[in-house]
Amino acid sequence: MSTVNFEKIVKSYGDTSVVRELDLELPDGSFTVLVGPSGCGKTTTLRMLAGLETVTSGRILIGGRDVTKLEPKDRDIAMVFQNYALYPHLSVRENLAFPLRAIQTPKDQVATRVDSVAGPLGLTPLLHRKPKDLSGGQQQRVAIGRAIIRQPSVFLFDEPLSNLDAKLRVEMRTELLQIQRRLGTTALYVTHDQEEAMTLSDCIVVMRDGQIAQQGKPQDVYDHPNSTFVAAFVGSPKMNLMDGTVTDGVFVDDAGFSIGVTNVAAGRFTLGVRPDDILIGLDESSPHRGVVDVVELLGPRAIVSVISHGQNVAAVVEAASMTGIREGATVSLGIRPGSQHLFNQSTGLRVGS
Amino acid sequence: MKYEHKLLTPLLAVFAVAVGFPLLYSFWLGFTDYKLVNSGATKFVGLQNYISVLSDGAYWSSFATTTAYVLLSVSLELIIGLSIALALQKQKWVKDLTRSVLLAPMFITPIAVGLMFRFFLNDQLGAIPNFLKQLGLSYDFFGPGRALISLAFIDVWQWTPFMILLLLAGLESIPKQPLEAARVDGANSWYSFRRITLPMLSPVLVVAILLRGLDALKVFEYVFATTRGGPGTETKTIQFLAYQTGITYFRLSEASAMAFILLVVVLAIIVILFRNLEKASTR
Amino acid sequence: MSRIKPLGVLRVALLWAAVITVGLPLIWVILGSFKSPAELNNPNQLLFVPTLGSWRAVLSSDLIFSAARSLIVGLVTVSISVIVGTMGAYAIARFRAGGSLTRFGILAAQVLPPAVLVFPFLTVAYALRLNGTLVPVIFAHLSFVLPVVTWFLIGFFAAVPKEIEEQARVDGFGRFAAFRLVVLPQVLPGIGAAAIFGFTLSWNDMFYGLILAPSNSTILPVAIAGFNTFRGVELGPMCAAILIAVIPVLIASFFIQRKLVQGISGGAVKF
Repeated sequence: MSTVNFEKIVKSYGDTSVVRELDLELPDGSFTVLVGPSGCGKTTTLRMLAGLETVTSGRILIGGRDVTKLEPKDRDIAMVFQNYALYPHLSVRENLAFPLRAIQTPKDQVATRVDSVAGPLGLTPLLHRKPKDLSGGQQQRVAIGRAIIRQPSVFLFDEPLSNLDAKLRVEMRTELLQIQRRLGTTALYVTHDQEEAMTLSDCIVVMRDGQIAQQGKPQDVYDHPNSTFVAAFVGSPKMNLMDGTVTDGVFVDDAGFSIGVTNVAAGRFTLGVRPDDILIGLDESSPHRGVVDVVELLGPRAIVSVISHGQNVAAVVEAASMTGIREGATVSLGIRPGSQHLFNQSTGLRVGS
Repeated sequence: MKYEHKLLTPLLAVFAVAVGFPLLYSFWLGFTDYKLVNSGATKFVGLQNYISVLSDGAYWSSFATTTAYVLLSVSLELIIGLSIALALQKQKWVKDLTRSVLLAPMFITPIAVGLMFRFFLNDQLGAIPNFLKQLGLSYDFFGPGRALISLAFIDVWQWTPFMILLLLAGLESIPKQPLEAARVDGANSWYSFRRITLPMLSPVLVVAILLRGLDALKVFEYVFATTRGGPGTETKTIQFLAYQTGITYFRLSEASAMAFILLVVVLAIIVILFRNLEKASTR
Repeated sequence: MSRIKPLGVLRVALLWAAVITVGLPLIWVILGSFKSPAELNNPNQLLFVPTLGSWRAVLSSDLIFSAARSLIVGLVTVSISVIVGTMGAYAIARFRAGGSLTRFGILAAQVLPPAVLVFPFLTVAYALRLNGTLVPVIFAHLSFVLPVVTWFLIGFFAAVPKEIEEQARVDGFGRFAAFRLVVLPQVLPGIGAAAIFGFTLSWNDMFYGLILAPSNSTILPVAIAGFNTFRGVELGPMCAAILIAVIPVLIASFFIQRKLVQGISGGAVKF
């Protein structure tokens, strides 16, 4: 169990920098998720911590120990790969025992350790099988078991759930979190799936172009995205963003939509509103009206796309209050008071609400 | 030194001794008057060997002979090989045995194949001429105008399996969906073959044809076992001519020059082959 | 489906014709090895009493020594090729070590005309007084067996996902241990196939042997060719000798046919 520190980490291949001066601390026992679009440097960051990628400049510390130049085997880490990377020629038991072989664990201890790991993961009946005879979910469990068996100081996860089907992914997500909580091991998890990032992490780190765009508790990042990039990336369906002008404390969208804002000087801005905060009604006197384009039912709720003044607005509506809202219907649009976000239009940075 | 370079060094070292050095040495030989039995000092003679080889009708005629041999054998191998590969692809009954039998010839020592056919096709003792005789036909397989065709047939017997092997693999790695889509769209099997199978097979076809062509250029054993270049010089291929020049007449430098001219042709083909393989492996 | 039946008949007929074409000359040679000289002189005689005369003659001749020499040449060549080739192929496949030029060189060396390389081997062998020994033949065979084996192995190594090796390194093993414990077992069948194929190439080569190891140190293919040239045509023993050369490689070939395609194409085509 250890704190991990990235200090001014740079990774470049020739002239292209993949990671640029990254500073990040993973507190002891925390579960941190790196999330971002592909090519943002999240996987490279993880692989540098694993020792599979060299560091161009900067330092990486695990529990205060400088590991920047150490081989992976000397870092006391465990990693779960996207494709599980099970050893095809070894049985489940041998796969689980493999990390113990590296530290020359006595035979009888290996057997007990394997059994104690296999049990809770439900792998006991499969111990003699080869990886190719396992289902995707079972393979995933073996990979997790192999990661925890040595009780490393840090867990690394490289999109470990993305090869599973949707249902299994949600199950394994919970299970993974339970294991990490029980063991209290510091974990770094990479994913491109923002929903996974939101549900798993103590701390979410949104990356863009090799730098941290924003980090913090998932709820804080969701509630106060510091840029249009983060606002658009975190949350599903995507936040509605519209360009407009502020004059005298009133934001007027280019399509004519207006709303009062506070503490902002006049100028060009981007207004962001989460679909959950768009209120749809059948108020015929409302100045803001639009035509329902598509309704996507998700069980208890529905995503409603409305075309208003030529632009598309997404809203999440409770299924119970859907009466009168159907494709082709004319509806009124509103914003939940105080829920809007305001960003500088040229820099994309948050300026207020 | 980096880890991967440490691993690569022994390979490069052996490669340098077994391929690099002889290659350069042979290149140098081509510019000298080196003779195996001559103890006098070896002189540098510039382009003299190349000039005498290139102005020698025998070299050009063996070049033409080899070209004819390669074109005839490889095109037959391609047609027969593709047909058999297509047939094998649908084969269910004793599938593995059929494949093993049909692939067997390519593993046999070429000199043994040459001798086997010399015997099998022999005018007096061979099974085939004898069978033809009983039908009242007489055909001398190694006679004038026929020997080169017979040699090409031997090549076809031994190396069509190579074509089958590569093309069958190519056929089996073609994804099924496009063919199924074509069937749903109402295409007949000839149309699907021409418009879907062949284009998708083409990278493998190119590789197979080039590899076969390069190998056929080196033909030596069949000639050595059967005709020794005859009748006349009808079947004197480049490799056989180089052997005769270098070993029978001890004119090593001239033989090296001959080989190097062939090498230029070979290298040009390999460049095309290499591009194809690199493209296929990065796909 | 009844519409395509004629095509089906054609298909089966083609395969039968192919099997017969492949089989007939081989059977003729097998039968020939059991015939007496008189029976061999009369190809019309289909029934005959099998005799072991030809086999006895061959097995008590120098041909056995030639076979032993071929075996030694093959084993030495293949051992060097496999050891050196495995390390090199891994470096090339995994790290792209040596770049395109190395890969090109390895491909090109497989198809170099032997006439290009043979004369230097001959002159150097004379200069070092190694003529008449198997050493020049082994080097000559390395010139094509090593590139072929390496080319095969590049394809096999490229097919091993690099994650399992990285996993082993994270699991606590050094680079070489990860290679040995995790990567090598995946390519072991491929190494076996490459070794067998490399051996058959060495075993089958006559050109280098003919020039570099004549008279007293003949290798098997050269010795077989000798049945044709120097003692007149001794058909029976020749048939037996052919079979001695052919049978081992035919048996070996059955084990490697599936791996062969992947190897020949450097992993570009999978079977």
